[in-house]
Amino acid sequence: MTAFSFNTTTTLAKWCLILMLSVPVIAGTFGAVFPAMGYFPAIGETQFGLHVFATLFDTPALWQMVGLSLFTGLLSTLLAVAGALVLLAGFYHLRWLQTIQRLLSPLLVLPHAAAAMALLFVLSPSGMILRLVTSLSSNESIVPTSWWFPYDSEGISVMIALALKELPFIMLMALSVLSQPQTEKKVAGYYRIGAALGYSNIAVFFQLILPVLYPQIRLPILAVLVFATSSVEISMLLGPNSPNTLAVSVLYWFNHIDLSMRMLGSAAALLQVVVSGVAVGIFIAVERVIAVFGSHQRLSGKRHSADLWVKSVAYSIVSAYCLLIVAIIYSVVMWSVAQYWAFPNLVPDGFTFLHWQTATASLTLPLVNTLQLALAVGITSVAMVLLTLESLSNTRSSRSVIDNVLPYTLFLPLFVPGVAFLYGLVWLQQMFIGDAIWVNTFIAHLVYVLPYVYISLAVSYKKFDMRYVHVALGLGKTPAQVFFKVKLPLMFPPIAVAFALALAISFSQYLPTILPSGGALPTLTTEAVASVSGSSQRLSAVYVILLAGLPLIGFALAWYLPRVVFTPHRKKTNIRDKRHTHGA
Amino acid sequence: MALKLDNVTIFKADRWLLSVNTTVNNGDILSIMGPSGSGKSTLLNAISGHLSPPFIMTGHVEVNGCSMTTMPAHQRGVGVMFQDALLFDHMTVGQNIMFAMPQTMKAKEKEKAVIDMLSAVGLDGLEKRAPNELSGGQQSRVSLLRTLAAQPNVVLLDEPFSQLDSHLREQIRTWTFEQLKHRQIPSVLVTHDMDDAIAAGGEIMELSSC
Amino acid sequence: MSKQWLTRTQYAVVMALLVSALLVSAKSHGDTVRFHAWGGSAQVNGYLQWVAEQLEEQGITLQHVKLADTSDAVSRVLAEKAGGNLSNGSVDLIWINGENFAAMKKHGLLQPNWVSSLPNFALTNPSINPAMVTDFGEPTQGMEAPWGKASMVFYYRENHLSNAKVAQPTTIAELLAFAEALPGRFTYPLPNDYLGISFLKYAAVALNPKHRDVFYKPVSQQALRTITPSLWAYLDKLHPLMWRQGEYMVRQASQLQRLVDAGELALSFSFTAAEIPSAVERFDLPPDIRTYAMQDGSLANVHFIGIVFNSPHKETAKQVINFMLSPLAQSQKKKLAVWGDDTVLDIALLNVEQQALFTSNETHPSAIPPDSSSPLIAEPHSSWSDALRQVWFERYGARY
Repeated sequence: MTAFSFNTTTTLAKWCLILMLSVPVIAGTFGAVFPAMGYFPAIGETQFGLHVFATLFDTPALWQMVGLSLFTGLLSTLLAVAGALVLLAGFYHLRWLQTIQRLLSPLLVLPHAAAAMALLFVLSPSGMILRLVTSLSSNESIVPTSWWFPYDSEGISVMIALALKELPFIMLMALSVLSQPQTEKKVAGYYRIGAALGYSNIAVFFQLILPVLYPQIRLPILAVLVFATSSVEISMLLGPNSPNTLAVSVLYWFNHIDLSMRMLGSAAALLQVVVSGVAVGIFIAVERVIAVFGSHQRLSGKRHSADLWVKSVAYSIVSAYCLLIVAIIYSVVMWSVAQYWAFPNLVPDGFTFLHWQTATASLTLPLVNTLQLALAVGITSVAMVLLTLESLSNTRSSRSVIDNVLPYTLFLPLFVPGVAFLYGLVWLQQMFIGDAIWVNTFIAHLVYVLPYVYISLAVSYKKFDMRYVHVALGLGKTPAQVFFKVKLPLMFPPIAVAFALALAISFSQYLPTILPSGGALPTLTTEAVASVSGSSQRLSAVYVILLAGLPLIGFALAWYLPRVVFTPHRKKTNIRDKRHTHGA
Repeated sequence: MALKLDNVTIFKADRWLLSVNTTVNNGDILSIMGPSGSGKSTLLNAISGHLSPPFIMTGHVEVNGCSMTTMPAHQRGVGVMFQDALLFDHMTVGQNIMFAMPQTMKAKEKEKAVIDMLSAVGLDGLEKRAPNELSGGQQSRVSLLRTLAAQPNVVLLDEPFSQLDSHLREQIRTWTFEQLKHRQIPSVLVTHDMDDAIAAGGEIMELSSC
Repeated sequence: MSKQWLTRTQYAVVMALLVSALLVSAKSHGDTVRFHAWGGSAQVNGYLQWVAEQLEEQGITLQHVKLADTSDAVSRVLAEKAGGNLSNGSVDLIWINGENFAAMKKHGLLQPNWVSSLPNFALTNPSINPAMVTDFGEPTQGMEAPWGKASMVFYYRENHLSNAKVAQPTTIAELLAFAEALPGRFTYPLPNDYLGISFLKYAAVALNPKHRDVFYKPVSQQALRTITPSLWAYLDKLHPLMWRQGEYMVRQASQLQRLVDAGELALSFSFTAAEIPSAVERFDLPPDIRTYAMQDGSLANVHFIGIVFNSPHKETAKQVINFMLSPLAQSQKKKLAVWGDDTVLDIALLNVEQQALFTSNETHPSAIPPDSSSPLIAEPHSSWSDALRQVWFERYGARY
């Protein structure tokens, strides 16, 4: 009886997961189709037709918007991929790799909004870098009037910001692929053989390892590309506005006081899906070209692939990140406690805690909201994913259709631009659930969190030694007992990490918070973004610190908790260490 | 509690792998030997209930006359021992053993039984230690105690001594077989080492790979 | 043992469901009066927090929903009405004036005829102060209560200007000369923003001294044709001399202050004279900032609070507004250290104690000198805002 209900629970969880991933996205996109085709009964439009699209294509500067989205999205992803590969090529076999991994990991969970705000503190005309340069090189004390960052019309600011934010993600995805036991052995073997054949480490990486690695990180890279072409926060905070990128225009059209602009916004949202698709197509074409070029290289017998160049670029990238991180931390902390800070001084004229007091006084509600939402989303997503993975690992018969569909539904939220389906989702939620802003926002967050939690836990599930399960079943324990008393405790560290990841992703959501709740649910991120157009730079600095710090606290807990929970005698146990000491 | 393998035949997809037709009496040990890939571990999986596609089994596995073919793994009462002790790292040694004991025992009874079991094999005072503090030989012994605490009908041993150095190996092996014989449990041993098979003193089967 | 597991898991699931249900229901409805108001000013936010604390003692919970743009809230109410939500709206009070008010009035989004029922409204002396019941030329019809007064002031970085030996401009023509002397140091927000369209109105009025009267009638094509040539001639020259050559224009007025703080701008303007010294006190502006008013006229207006038609808390909302019109709240609002927004109350109607609340000896080097005077320009008819914005977008590109 128990086995039956545990089985049904896990199967139920699996179905819930699939529905949760696919229904909002698909339904949401449909919710955008109707207004785009002219059907918007709330304002009296009931005629289906292509007139909305006609208006859209008549919009002046539309093609500039599309071009801007494509340009920033494609170039930033290419830069991020190239940068990540160069870093891997240059550092894979060196001790540096661990340090670089630790340096870049916090950047992963930094919310996009915080990253954009942080860059503003450092790279803008009165930012840290220019202060350094000006104070060291001249006696000027006025801020330069022509400096490209931010808001430049070509979108280079947006591109650089996106590339900086995505490079750590791609690099860490690649590293996690490379650290899977079988791949690790293969790669180590390739390095040995390549060296024996006379190829340098860098040549081995590009010619032997990359072809093995790339297919496995392709999907995440394409997801990054789709995100980059449709990102709202970074383009809104750093991008030009004559015109904006397409995604930002969609946001503004939907918020326009003239409700018929919403139809235009829906049409543009669908156009955004097409634009992202085109970007993926162009990217794949570029891949092909590089692959052809690469295979020529491989057979040419060149033992060194521009080694010196690759190494110097790799070192430059690492130094650039180090410099940026130091500059960001310094500026943001200084600004948060600064009195007046004249240009080009490197230290403020005086210090005060006024801004911290102001911020904390008004942040109680947003902080509470942020935490409540994140905890609810985190617990639900981790529970759903764990039960689903358990269900998938329990099927002893061949996998049903649903089991094969599951990996594809995972990627739906990542491949359909948020601006496209979130509005439709909100429209549907208003129709069926009404104004329950918490439920609506919860669902929107869950849609974005589930894929990452799943990917993170699936890897650990795969790595789990199934013999523990066999032993426990052999002791007469039911599958449910094995799940709760053996599997979960032994997997506690990766579960804690997945939970921290879920929290971090929920903390950083901007569009999925502001849309379903109509702005009535203030969170730390929405307040921070609102503060950027506010009048106080110092207050924004406080917000950035809080916004960046919150996910880090989650991960610190994920690191610390496994050392005290599920550990007999509070002694440090390394759960992965299976080597026993020999001898009685 | 005799274990009967009644014309048990295992196929991998449509390729025949092995056939076994024998009975293991209480207290006896069936030794299975053969090169890698011949299906030794697969046979153990079939007995313990962990056979999954592409492997298919025909024939019956019976314990004391009851067919176990359709029973799920956790209801078969088949204990498994691998070459790694696989003690649960998040429990102490004592908790590992108590975990295996039947639910009908009360907590106090369980604790007393653990202390008794440990001192009977010369491992006094280890019940509160973390598993990875023990030596390899100690872990092996605790692992068998855990398996036996569940009062299994059958015990399967998958090369359980191969991780131990030769001096320890003989000691642990002798002790393990004694315990199994003493409790009259039919066992199946898979091994590479002829010495193990001879020491087991039961029927020896050689599987070949086709 | 297996039975125990069954109940334990089920129990956990039930508890989780209960908790989430509680969370959902607790948060979806409450007895909170939601005041949707622009949230880009630390001073306004701080003042509203004080108001909330005062109201808490009377048992009323006031929530300041911070807006980046008031039209977001207007658009939300419009959507609710279109969606059939007639009695359970998400907005109770809204801080508006000008064309946001005109739009809400036109679509019937505000509760009418309640303002005169408030005891404290009489203190604004509406019979001799038509500005209390007229919003950009539109009669308020009791839909919104006056809250504060504002007029346009300019401010500049004194050190920057004196080092460059340039004087601050006091007329619209001098502003162009200033931009020529110091290019890249002035800008104005996009006309979607309240301050942006106000700048355009100021420029239009100041550049067309002979056609003042057309601005106080509803806009017409002919009127536009009359006044736009001088406006375009001016802006065409000004834009390339602006910050970032006019290619990027800020969306929110508050960003202007930030840019002055950063040193990128040397001259800017605002509708809230008091927020400038208050910003200096908060270190958000340099101490050498000086404020003044243009000699060819300062746009001036009253801003209001309205009750939304589908608010579920209308009675409580009225109590909130009555408190906001009280001498205590109005005098607190006027303090430079708090917000500095001028009061709508007629001081002559107050008793001695209440009048004492309003006297202060606050002066600040960055504040507008108390004895300064400049001609006031009343707000043009509200239809002008939309019209000017549209023609501006047509000429300079629709920037969403």
